[in-house]
Amino acid sequence: MSKRLKHRLRSVAVVAALLILPQVVQERYFLHIVVMAGIYTIMTMSWNLLAGYSGQLNLGHAAFFGIGAYSSALLAMKLGVSPWFGLLGGGVIAGFFGFLLGFPALRLSGPYLAITTIGFAEILRLVAVNWVDLTRGSLGLSGIPLLTPIRLGSWGMEFYFERDYYYVVLAAVVFTYFCMLRFTHSEFGVSLQALRDDEQGAQSIGIHTSQYKLAVFTISAFFAGMAGGLFAHFTRLVSPDTMSLHVTFDTLTMTMIGGLGTTAGPILGAVLLSLLSEWLRTLEDFFRMDIRLVLYGFLLILTIRFMREGLVGVVRALKEGFSSYGKGRNAGGDHD
Amino acid sequence: MESLFLQQTLNGLIIGSIYSLIAIGLTMIFGVMKISNFAHGDYSMVGAYTAVFLMAWVPGWMGWVGSIIAAAAVVGILGIVTERLIFRPLIGRWTDIDIIMVSIGLFILLENLAQLFFGATPQMISDPFKGATVHIGGVSTSVLRVFCFGFSCIAIGALQIFLNRSKLGVAIRATSQNRFAAQLMGVDINLIYTLTFWVGAALAGVAGVLYGTTFAVHPLMGAMPTLKAFVVTILGGMGNIRGAIFGGFILGIAESLGGNYLAMEYQHAIGFFIIILVLLLRPRGLFGAKEGT
Amino acid sequence: MLRVEEINVTYGKAVALMDVSLHLERGELVTLLGSNGAGKSTLLKCVSGIKPPIKGRTIFDGEEIQKLPSHKIVQRGIIHVPEGRAVFPDLTVEENLRMGAFCRKDENAVRKDMDFVFALLPRLQERINQSAGTLSGGEAQMLAIGRGLLAEPKLLMLDEPSLGLAPVLRDNIFAVIRQIYQEKDITILLVEQNARWALQVAARGYVLENGRIRLEDTGEKLAANPHVQRAYLGY
Repeated sequence: MSKRLKHRLRSVAVVAALLILPQVVQERYFLHIVVMAGIYTIMTMSWNLLAGYSGQLNLGHAAFFGIGAYSSALLAMKLGVSPWFGLLGGGVIAGFFGFLLGFPALRLSGPYLAITTIGFAEILRLVAVNWVDLTRGSLGLSGIPLLTPIRLGSWGMEFYFERDYYYVVLAAVVFTYFCMLRFTHSEFGVSLQALRDDEQGAQSIGIHTSQYKLAVFTISAFFAGMAGGLFAHFTRLVSPDTMSLHVTFDTLTMTMIGGLGTTAGPILGAVLLSLLSEWLRTLEDFFRMDIRLVLYGFLLILTIRFMREGLVGVVRALKEGFSSYGKGRNAGGDHD
Repeated sequence: MESLFLQQTLNGLIIGSIYSLIAIGLTMIFGVMKISNFAHGDYSMVGAYTAVFLMAWVPGWMGWVGSIIAAAAVVGILGIVTERLIFRPLIGRWTDIDIIMVSIGLFILLENLAQLFFGATPQMISDPFKGATVHIGGVSTSVLRVFCFGFSCIAIGALQIFLNRSKLGVAIRATSQNRFAAQLMGVDINLIYTLTFWVGAALAGVAGVLYGTTFAVHPLMGAMPTLKAFVVTILGGMGNIRGAIFGGFILGIAESLGGNYLAMEYQHAIGFFIIILVLLLRPRGLFGAKEGT
Repeated sequence: MLRVEEINVTYGKAVALMDVSLHLERGELVTLLGSNGAGKSTLLKCVSGIKPPIKGRTIFDGEEIQKLPSHKIVQRGIIHVPEGRAVFPDLTVEENLRMGAFCRKDENAVRKDMDFVFALLPRLQERINQSAGTLSGGEAQMLAIGRGLLAEPKLLMLDEPSLGLAPVLRDNIFAVIRQIYQEKDITILLVEQNARWALQVAARGYVLENGRIRLEDTGEKLAANPHVQRAYLGY
């Protein structure tokens, strides 16, 4: 069997498995976790584009998530917009804020940029807390509408159960994934990496780094906003905590452990850590303590110290251990 | 009104001195090792908990003063351990982003270990002066705060003497200005790294006791001091100790006045607004060196 | 006194020095010539312990030192004065000089050396409490040399001391170096692009090109060498 065919069959098998998963495992709690994992996957992929491929350290990513969530919720609740458009709207509004955040990034880098992004998110979070008329402050918005039913001729789909949201989120994840693939494996992606590795060098060969920075912030924010919208219509509750630093740190941890700067890393990290997190929660009764986050911190430190490329790097190293050497270093990463 | 202004300025000055103390450690570590440690505020948190425990044994002002010394020792050791195990192996090998990330990992770890061991409920360091206040002119403040201010100033003063009068202190300053040249003078750079972290963390630990006495002590309390410390550091110029001292006072007063005269809810955002201004207008900070030094 | 044997230094995959060997006897003034990028600074960094070699040995007074950390090499009396001044800009002139004496314990000896340096370089005495960052190029170079002297060097390695200085200042520096050599019991390895003066004052010299030693001879013979004349003396 040719390698190409093998690869294709593998992809088909993965897609098929993903499609029939909710039919096989019907337990609602499990599907709830999977849906959340999917939402986090979009977050990690979008953050990965910004930090992994473009080298822009954004520690305010939760702000985009929150803006998307609040926007979508408010559009539905105050303006009666269909949640489907709300998802898009949330993404666009978040994208706008991403564009705004891109401006400081033009001049700042490293810790300066990091602090600015934290400040950006913090200020927005405080706005959410204090602009009570709009956001109901710390109470947050509850009772956010579910996704409205779709009807095409005689076929219809309603969105009451986790299973239904699973398919929506799966579609969103796949959409995001292919977009990311397109972005990174194109001239755009190459320019972003040039920007990351040597900004001055990139400028000297004619790359308009400013435009690229603004673009990647906008795009990254859009996807995070979309994830926020999905979150809003799924959990039906949005509060200022949605924009907290902890959300950003969760995203960051998942991406780093999965493998920063790779295509598969964010997915791997988000899925595995979500599952790990839940498994640990079940053990919580046994240990009588919550060690999830302790483990997160510990794993993050270990990853950066010893496995800089995350789990993807480990998998790659294992594969290379068996097969021939001389495999080129693919900056785009492999999808395994 | 007049005395309200003075009162708020005084409050700001006192809090500012604590900010300075935390920021000095952060800026020193950045200056010498080029490390931005996002877990720095957690050193303060550990210091605060040291005080909580010690004062459970030895209450009153003896316990309090003892805690300050104990915090310096305990957190100093923590600083050395984190430097050796986590940060030093990464210098020169990984990028700045990686170092910031690993410090975030440390932040998450420390925060949640604290939550695990100490529980999430906030605790108080009991006021050794039992709420006594002092009045001068039109302003008043608690005796506790006066002592906090006093200890901050003593610590800052001691550091200045160390950095200016002692051989190792001058070596630390030299290393932060030109590491290569310092090596050529026979300075053991690894020793300087450890020493800098030790001093920086110890100062943060002391500040933690003072901070915890003024506010509450809880596992998540480290985030605020970290961000404040970064704000002060950027305001004063990263790596610049004098800048950190002035910056701390400026931030304290700005928060106090801004919170009272402008908007209380956004008090904590004042720092961020300040640095946005700074980064726009004078990125190197008040005392920072020009780029390329 | 110093023997460098078959030193190889790489920066990642790039080879900076390949099988470089040279030697200095006690009390000699030897010069190392070469253009930019030839590897002169790298060689000094290798000897001073900043950039260890991947192959080869460095032997100083009978002891192998190539694996030692830089602070231990300074303690043995090898002092590297780097190119480009490299003073500590926010320390005063006096603090800079005292940093030179960082490894020394005998306060009296340090003070005597300070007097020597101030006598040799009176301008430094004038500016003793000024920040080193405010000094002019020539003054900073003198400070760097003075600082090096305060480390009580047995072997003084100077990396392009005249670089970037106007001719008058260059002559000053050269005079200072000559004076140090004559008055102190010292061995000097002088790295210079300005070959003319270096060859006048040096007993022997090496020419380093693309990371390899290309020539080794006495100062006079090198000055008369046609290749050297074309490449480094501007004929």
